[in-house]
Amino acid sequence: MIISRNWLAKYVPLEMDDDALNQALTFSGIEVEAIDHIPALPPEVVTARIISAEKLEDSEHLTLCMVDIGDGSEPRQVVCGAPNCSAGMVSVLALPGAVLGELTIKSARLRGVESHGMLCSERELGISEDHAGIIRLPEDTPLGKSVNELYELPDTIFEVEITPNRPDLLGYEGIARDLSAALNLPLYIKEPQPVPGVDSDAIGLSLSIVEPQLCPRYTARLLADIKLADSPLWLKTALIKSGMRPINNVVDITNYVMLETGHPLHAFDYDLLQGETEDAAHPSIIVRRAKDKEKFMALDGNEYELDGQDLVIADGKNAGALAGVIGGKQTAISDATKRVVLESAAFQPQTVRRSSYNHKVSTDSSYRFERHQSPEMAARTSLRATQLLVELAGAMVIGDLYDAYPQPVQRWMVALRKSRISLLIGYEMAEAKVKEYLGNLGLEYVKDGAWQEELLHDASEIKECDISSKCEAAMWFAIPPKRVDLLREVDLIEELARLDGYHKVPVKTPPSIIMDKHAYRIRNQVLDYLVGIGFYETLNYSFNDPAQLQLLGIDPQENTHKLINPQSGNQALMRISLLPQLLDNLRYNLNHGERNLKLMELARLYPADQNVEPLHCTALVTGQLRAGHWQNPGRQINFFDIKGMVTGLLELLDLPGTKMEPLAKSWLSQTRNLAWFIEDKPVAQIGALQPAIADKFGIDLSQLRQELWVIELDVHLLTEISRNRKRTFVPLPRFPSVSRDLSFVVANHISWEHIYRLVKGVDEYLISNVEIFDEYRGKQVPEGLRSLSLRLILQDKEKTLTDNRIDALVDSVIKELAEECKIQLR
Amino acid sequence: MEAELNRFAEEAAEKIAQCRTPNDILNARAQFLGKKSMLNGLFARLRELPAEQRPAFGQLINTARGKLESLLASREQEIKSAAWEAQAAVDFDSSMPGYSWQRGSFHPVSIIRRQIEDVFLGMGFEIAEGPEIEDEFHNFDALNTPDDHPSRNLADTFYLESGKLLRTQTSTVQIRVMESFKPPIRIISPGRCYRNDKPDPSHSPVFQQVEALVVDRGISMSDLQDTLQNFARAMFGPQVKSRIRPHFFPFTEPSAEMDISCVNCSGAGCRVCKNSGWLEMGGAGMVDPAVFKMVGIDPEIYTGFAFGLGIERIAMLKYDIPDMRILFENDIRMLAQFKGESL
Repeated sequence: MIISRNWLAKYVPLEMDDDALNQALTFSGIEVEAIDHIPALPPEVVTARIISAEKLEDSEHLTLCMVDIGDGSEPRQVVCGAPNCSAGMVSVLALPGAVLGELTIKSARLRGVESHGMLCSERELGISEDHAGIIRLPEDTPLGKSVNELYELPDTIFEVEITPNRPDLLGYEGIARDLSAALNLPLYIKEPQPVPGVDSDAIGLSLSIVEPQLCPRYTARLLADIKLADSPLWLKTALIKSGMRPINNVVDITNYVMLETGHPLHAFDYDLLQGETEDAAHPSIIVRRAKDKEKFMALDGNEYELDGQDLVIADGKNAGALAGVIGGKQTAISDATKRVVLESAAFQPQTVRRSSYNHKVSTDSSYRFERHQSPEMAARTSLRATQLLVELAGAMVIGDLYDAYPQPVQRWMVALRKSRISLLIGYEMAEAKVKEYLGNLGLEYVKDGAWQEELLHDASEIKECDISSKCEAAMWFAIPPKRVDLLREVDLIEELARLDGYHKVPVKTPPSIIMDKHAYRIRNQVLDYLVGIGFYETLNYSFNDPAQLQLLGIDPQENTHKLINPQSGNQALMRISLLPQLLDNLRYNLNHGERNLKLMELARLYPADQNVEPLHCTALVTGQLRAGHWQNPGRQINFFDIKGMVTGLLELLDLPGTKMEPLAKSWLSQTRNLAWFIEDKPVAQIGALQPAIADKFGIDLSQLRQELWVIELDVHLLTEISRNRKRTFVPLPRFPSVSRDLSFVVANHISWEHIYRLVKGVDEYLISNVEIFDEYRGKQVPEGLRSLSLRLILQDKEKTLTDNRIDALVDSVIKELAEECKIQLR
Repeated sequence: MEAELNRFAEEAAEKIAQCRTPNDILNARAQFLGKKSMLNGLFARLRELPAEQRPAFGQLINTARGKLESLLASREQEIKSAAWEAQAAVDFDSSMPGYSWQRGSFHPVSIIRRQIEDVFLGMGFEIAEGPEIEDEFHNFDALNTPDDHPSRNLADTFYLESGKLLRTQTSTVQIRVMESFKPPIRIISPGRCYRNDKPDPSHSPVFQQVEALVVDRGISMSDLQDTLQNFARAMFGPQVKSRIRPHFFPFTEPSAEMDISCVNCSGAGCRVCKNSGWLEMGGAGMVDPAVFKMVGIDPEIYTGFAFGLGIERIAMLKYDIPDMRILFENDIRMLAQFKGESL
């Protein structure tokens, strides 16, 4: 639904700005989908009369106009391209200097003719999308007037979504009532005053409802002496801003009242309605099911074939309207209309929905009736429209309202327990507040009484609730008939929660702060990863044997917690290394004949100089990679297998690009070891265990002919470093990458790392990656040298790389390598 | 002529069905659909027919041609598929072992620990951890343990030269959390604990516990029952019952011992439950007001419950492990049995 802020403000004072109104609507349950601000027009945009209009020579569509802006000055010459431009009409002229959105009006020459301004369409003023022609204002519009006043500008248009449970919000009055209740603002909704009818025998109607189930109420009002004309500008403006096109005063009034009240209306041309027989005294209106295959020509120009499921409003002969959906062409209001039957009725929602769906015709009327309009509102709505027809179309009201309402809706009352409110919304609401909110919505507090689930229709049925009787105290409220959605206690509680604001609902359990979720996640990831690549998790006591630490070359006295009462001497220290027990575990399993072992333990260490007990992980690997498969003969696990294990983990933890270099450890090989540093702290290290150390732990590596690899991970540091990392999506490259291979011989002592950085450094932007895919040492290559094969991946994010640029880039790489590393291309 | 066509089509279909190799198909296609085929011959003889019959017969020939073409195509596909299967089948033995990434395994205590964590996380608990090297205040004083309580002895508790001690239960984390955070509190704290017990089938100087603590307005023993019941069912299955019975702990009042119906005999009585039908799970109770006062929480406003479970004991029960010492041997023949246990 599209609503204009200025129109809404007629019913409820809106002193807040658009954002605050958006906020208020949203929190009252009306979802705002779009906001369109229509700015005030500059003072150079004024009303003007076209004194003369002549087709411009040499042009099919341009008209040369002389335009009067009523200030006594000479008429202005304006060239206009609109088809409806004609002498005598009052329109809107933007004078030179006026700024309309992005357009600045200037004096200009068109086809050699001077033009001093622009005659405007509605779209050019920003008030609608209509651009079929220039605006036609009523003849009596004063000239030279600012258009802001006429069109009530500035204004803001809100496109809102009304939830299906709130048919009462399908009109301005309903939205205003809700806002006034939520914000405690006054509400200016006037009850239309009765309009006395003139008795007339010459005009009458025979009204009958054949299907009262499908049409619980049908009212018809006869009006004569209609002066069909354009609507006044304020009415047109109101419709335009709410997304409707003005047609004529009668139709516009029915639409206006529908937008205002939410209750759709329809007008028939009285003189086109037929009686049931040729000699009937009056024409008929019969609410009946359509006959099978009954033809119906609708206002939209389409012919529909109806069936017994459709409800129609028929005259004595034909269907005049598809009930609640669309009117018929045959009985429609036309320029010749003098007398009108004004329909205000209520239809069963399901019937309207079915007809609308089956015939694929959805209208503002069907949209509202589908969502249930109360029969109780029919008479009031009719009265409001009648008032406007008298006022704006000179109508004369004939007789009384025809009102077929066989089973009037009984007023209903709902009981509300105070205790139930806090149970549902989580906080207490004062009784006075409850009554105020519900009162603002139009609910009438009846009295206190015993609670019961069933609705009551009469206050006398409400039972007293005294201390002696077993009952719960409740407040009884009578529901305004428009609120067809308020049938149960919870429905009232929802209204209260909504009006008081969902933001007031207290948070029962404040958001979690105790748990270190990140640490928990990293811990699990590390463990899952290692088990996934084949490690067995071990569990050892939290103690170190001082003698074993000494075997590793660690001073047991330094930085350790000593137990006063250890169970034995080899459990005298709190652990500062996981390695000794893992070596024990390894020996234990080797002794049982296992040759291929991957063991790890993830546990806290207790260094005396730290006030945390840092989580560490140590792993031992020995034997074959994926040992003993019949198809793939195994091989001994090597340094690069181990390195890959750590690389994979760092990738998983999103910590790549870490600095790597060897780090001396008294138990590891001096050469075959590598440590990863993040922020200059070692977070991981791998290395080959010295056979002499293994030997001291009872593991004879030379006899086994196996290497024993150690992985040490500072999980505590990894956790801290990866905390608060944020991953952001990088848009995918739109241009293809290319690759170029490069093979060369280089001295052994020059590391791949060094070469990689040199190559990347040639152009960090274009060289997106450098991969090594071969290394060769041997007969073909002189002693002390090795042959390396690289693949450069080149990519430009802006455009496809040309061969020239690629060649230039590769040349630079070769030059750099030749200078820095003395490479020889192969 | 029509009879001739039908006979030809029948014969051709039969021949096509007899094709065995791609070459056969090639030949058949030439023979039946090629330039010199009988079908083409029939086309040439269309002229012999009266003009008005020609279109209809021409259509017949085309239909026949279409049929033969699709027969050839489907037979060709059959031959190819058969050849593809036959080729692969020559020396194929699907029973040979796959080349898997040999997965390791979690330690059974880790498995149970994470399962417990999962159950409680699902119930809206948070996980809190604390130091294992503790002071007397958090391990004893704050938990309302009398100064002369025997658990403070060297024979029960490990002490460090620094004057600190190794925590004897994870209840220390309760205290640390309540010192730092306002209720509502809903935590579990899993972790290592230490008691000076000699290793035997049911004791270990190093073991793991998980402690649960809930503090909020209106928490009663009923919430304890609830949590315990949910936990027991999630860990041991929907048929398991739980109960609490009176006991004594210095830091809870009322205190209780928690039991679950025997997971081995479903309560009928067996060796595992020593014929009682019930298995002891751990201690529980409502947080003693003295503990609340120690950490500055008003016991008039807040109440809470706490309970502690031994993780090894649950692992042993669940996996039928007879001796706790097995858990610390780290024999991969034991560990490998838990490859299929998910965390």
